Amino acid sequence: MFRKFTQEEISSQNQVKASVQRKIRQSIAEEYPDLEANLEDLIPKKVPLIVAKCQNHINLVVVNNVPLFFNIRDGPYMPTLRLLHQYPSIMKKFQVDRGAIKFVLAGANIMCPGLTSPGGSLDDEVLAEAPVAIMAEGKEHALAIGFTKMPAKDIRSINKGIGVDNMHYLNDGLWKTVHLD
Amino acid sequence: MAEKLQPLKVLYCSVCSLPAEYCEFGPDFEKCKPWLLKNAPGLYPDLVSEAEKAAEQLQGVNISGEKGDTSKRQGSAANFQPDEEVKKLPGGKVKKKEKPEIIIEKVIRNKRKCVTMIKGLDLFGIKLSEASKKFGKKFASGASVVKGPTEKEQIDVQGDLMLDIVDFITETWENVPESAIFFIEDGRKVPAVG
Ligand SMILES: [Zn+2]
Repeated sequence: MFRKFTQEEISSQNQVKASVQRKIRQSIAEEYPDLEANLEDLIPKKVPLIVAKCQNHINLVVVNNVPLFFNIRDGPYMPTLRLLHQYPSIMKKFQVDRGAIKFVLAGANIMCPGLTSPGGSLDDEVLAEAPVAIMAEGKEHALAIGFTKMPAKDIRSINKGIGVDNMHYLNDGLWKTVHLD
Repeated sequence: MAEKLQPLKVLYCSVCSLPAEYCEFGPDFEKCKPWLLKNAPGLYPDLVSEAEKAAEQLQGVNISGEKGDTSKRQGSAANFQPDEEVKKLPGGKVKKKEKPEIIIEKVIRNKRKCVTMIKGLDLFGIKLSEASKKFGKKFASGASVVKGPTEKEQIDVQGDLMLDIVDFITETWENVPESAIFFIEDGRKVPAVG
């Protein structure tokens, strides 16, 4: 999704109204309750919140020129990897085996067998169409943000095809966009 | 509302920008190697031994016996291998005079949320980042290495795990005796077992 993303793809950047800012904060707090107490620091009420609209209906939530969250249309907000690395406990986690790392980092979606093999792991509570942190065997930090195509239980039982869409991964365009100019 | 989370600081490679542990999958691992040797040798032990071998051949001197050199290298390593450090101390002696202890304390946050804090694993040569991962996986919950109030790093695991955690620790790390594990209950330190 952000494979070749650059700032040129941003079609508009708008400071949102206070009521919209409140709504965005609220939906982020609902999606990531453990982060609620940090939201005043991350998205201070007094600092303008910018929503940058990009191609393919992607929106970026930007504070002080730093992209913090993204979503598609009205879908759930997902943290950027740089933000998730700071607060790793806020998301449910799946783990891919070592063999899958290079494919994920090339932007491939996550295949079920990479999650069900001995090096992988699944959080059975995760349902379909949910944001999830993609971890990797032998690594401490997340390498991608995923959006599940099916519940974890089905990934386990069906065990073939794409289980999780790869939304954002290390070294993609969004990763490289540390600051918006 | 939940308690504020402490932001974790991740070591990013200044060459390829990825977390240092992912340099090996980055665009050009070779270019990252000098930086990694200096800043994250613990993550790539093979790289360190490779470099040592190269240095030995280059100088024609055996540097492994020089104590000063070893300690300097370990000092600069953000992520040194604690296992080795422990082995190096003869007779199970640990630098500190006191016996190493692991302290487990449950902190209740806003009545229902609960965090179990584990301190002292590092005293047994356990790498906290790895331990944190194991806790997270075992208890299917958020676990992270955080700087405690006394500036020593500790692991926080979400949830009340007081009962399961002792077994898990002693089974996972055989060098930790049950007798070294303590709970903090009502502000008092009590042995976890017995
Ligand atoms: Zn690198």
